[in-house]
Amino acid sequence: MNGTTWDFSVVWENLPMLARGLVGSLQITFVALLFGLLLGLLVAPLRMSALRSLRMPANVYINIFRATPPLVLLFWFFYAFPILIGVRFRPYEAAVVTLSLQSGAFFAEVFRAGIQSVERGQWEASRALGMGYLRLMRRIILPQAFKRMVLAFFERAIELFKTTTLVSTIAFADLLYEATVLVNQTFRPLEIYTAVAAIYILVITAASVGVRGLERRMARSDA
Amino acid sequence: MDYAWDFGAINRYWSVLWNGLVVTFQLAGISLLAGLALGLFVGMMRFAKSPVLTWPAAVYIEVFRNSPVLVQLVWFYYAFPVLIDTTMSAFMAAVLALSFNTSAFSAELFRGGIQSIDTGQWEAGRALGMRGPTLMRRIILPQAIRRMIPPLTGRAIELTKMTALASTIAVPELLYQGKLINAVTFRPIETYTVVAVIYLVLLWSGTLLVDRVERRLGRSDAWNR
Repeated sequence: MNGTTWDFSVVWENLPMLARGLVGSLQITFVALLFGLLLGLLVAPLRMSALRSLRMPANVYINIFRATPPLVLLFWFFYAFPILIGVRFRPYEAAVVTLSLQSGAFFAEVFRAGIQSVERGQWEASRALGMGYLRLMRRIILPQAFKRMVLAFFERAIELFKTTTLVSTIAFADLLYEATVLVNQTFRPLEIYTAVAAIYILVITAASVGVRGLERRMARSDA
Repeated sequence: MDYAWDFGAINRYWSVLWNGLVVTFQLAGISLLAGLALGLFVGMMRFAKSPVLTWPAAVYIEVFRNSPVLVQLVWFYYAFPVLIDTTMSAFMAAVLALSFNTSAFSAELFRGGIQSIDTGQWEAGRALGMRGPTLMRRIILPQAIRRMIPPLTGRAIELTKMTALASTIAVPELLYQGKLINAVTFRPIETYTVVAVIYLVLLWSGTLLVDRVERRLGRSDAWNR
C-alpha cells in the first residue's frame, strides 16, 4: 500500500520456532481437552441430579467458568490460586488447570444437552422394560445422545484451540508467544503476525471443514 | 491454606476499578454498534446474486470466525499500523479487532435469521409489488430481527467477555486496572478475585437476562401462530 515492503524471509528463516510454538498450542489443547472431557463427564450427571445438594454446586461451577472471561480465570489461576494453596505454578500448569476447568464446564453442558435431547418416550419405554438408571443410560439414551454430542464436542475443541492463545500472556511458549518473541527480536510485526494469523486460520478452517463434513455424513446416516 | 484475606488493601482503589469498568463498557458498546452495522451489511452481501459480492463476504466471515480473537487484536495493534503507515491507539486497535470479529459472527446470525423467514412472506411481498430493499426493510427484517434478538444478545455477552483481552495491549479496561492495582498493592489474590467477581456478576446476570428474553419471545411467537 503506502510503499510498505513485505519481506517474509524473517518468517521462513524462523519457521522451526513457529512450528515449536504450534506444537505447544496443540499440546495444551489436547491435555485440556482430555481433562475437560473427564470433568464434564463427572459434572454432567451431578448437574442433572434430582438432589439439590448435588445439582446446585455443579450449576454454580458451570456458570462461573462459562460466564467469566477466560483471561481473567487464567490470571486468577496463575497469580492468585498458587499463593492461596501455597504451591508454585509454572505457566504450563496454570494454563492446563484453567483451560481444563473451563472446558469441563462447557462439556458438562454439551453432555447434558445431548442427554436431555433424547425424547421422553425413550426414557419411559426403557423404564417400562424394567431397566435401571445405569442400564437405561448405557443401552438406550447414551447411544442416541452420543451422535448429537459429537458435533458439539468438536466445535468446542476448536474453540478451545482458539482460547489457548491466551496462555501467551503468562509466557507459555505457544504459537502466539513465539511470534511475539520473534517480533521483539526482528521488528517485523507485519510479516510475523500476518503469517501467524494465516497459520491459525489454516488450522482452524481445516478443522471446521472436517467437522462440517462429519455433520453431513451423520445427517445422511440419520435419514 | 492459612492465607489471611485482606480486602482492605484494595479498598482505596475502587475508583480505579470503576474507571476500568467504564472503559470496558465503552469498548463493548462501540464495538457492538459498529460490529452489528457491519455485520448487517456483510450478511446482506451473502444474499447478493453476483459472486463478486458473495465470495468476499464469505471469505471475510471465515477469516474472522476461524482465527483467535487475541491474534486479531495483536494484529490490529502491531501489524495493521505498519501496513497503512500510521500509529494507532490501543483503544482504537481494540475497537477495530472486536468490531470486525463481532461483524463476522453477527453476519451469520443475520443470514440465518433472514433465511428462517418463510418463503411465503417473500412471495407475498413481491406479489404486492415490493422490490428487494423495500421488501427486506418492511417485511423480512422486522420478523427476522425478532428471532435474532436472543442470539444477538448472546453475542453482546461474548463481546463483553472478549474486551478483557484488550488488557494485553494496555487498554485501561477492568482487567488492566486490576493488573495496575496488583502492581502497587502486591495483593494478587484479593485483586484478581474482586475483578473476577465483577465480571462474573455482570456476565452471569446478562446470561439470565438472555434466558428470560428467549422464553418471553418464544411465548409471544407461539401466540401469534
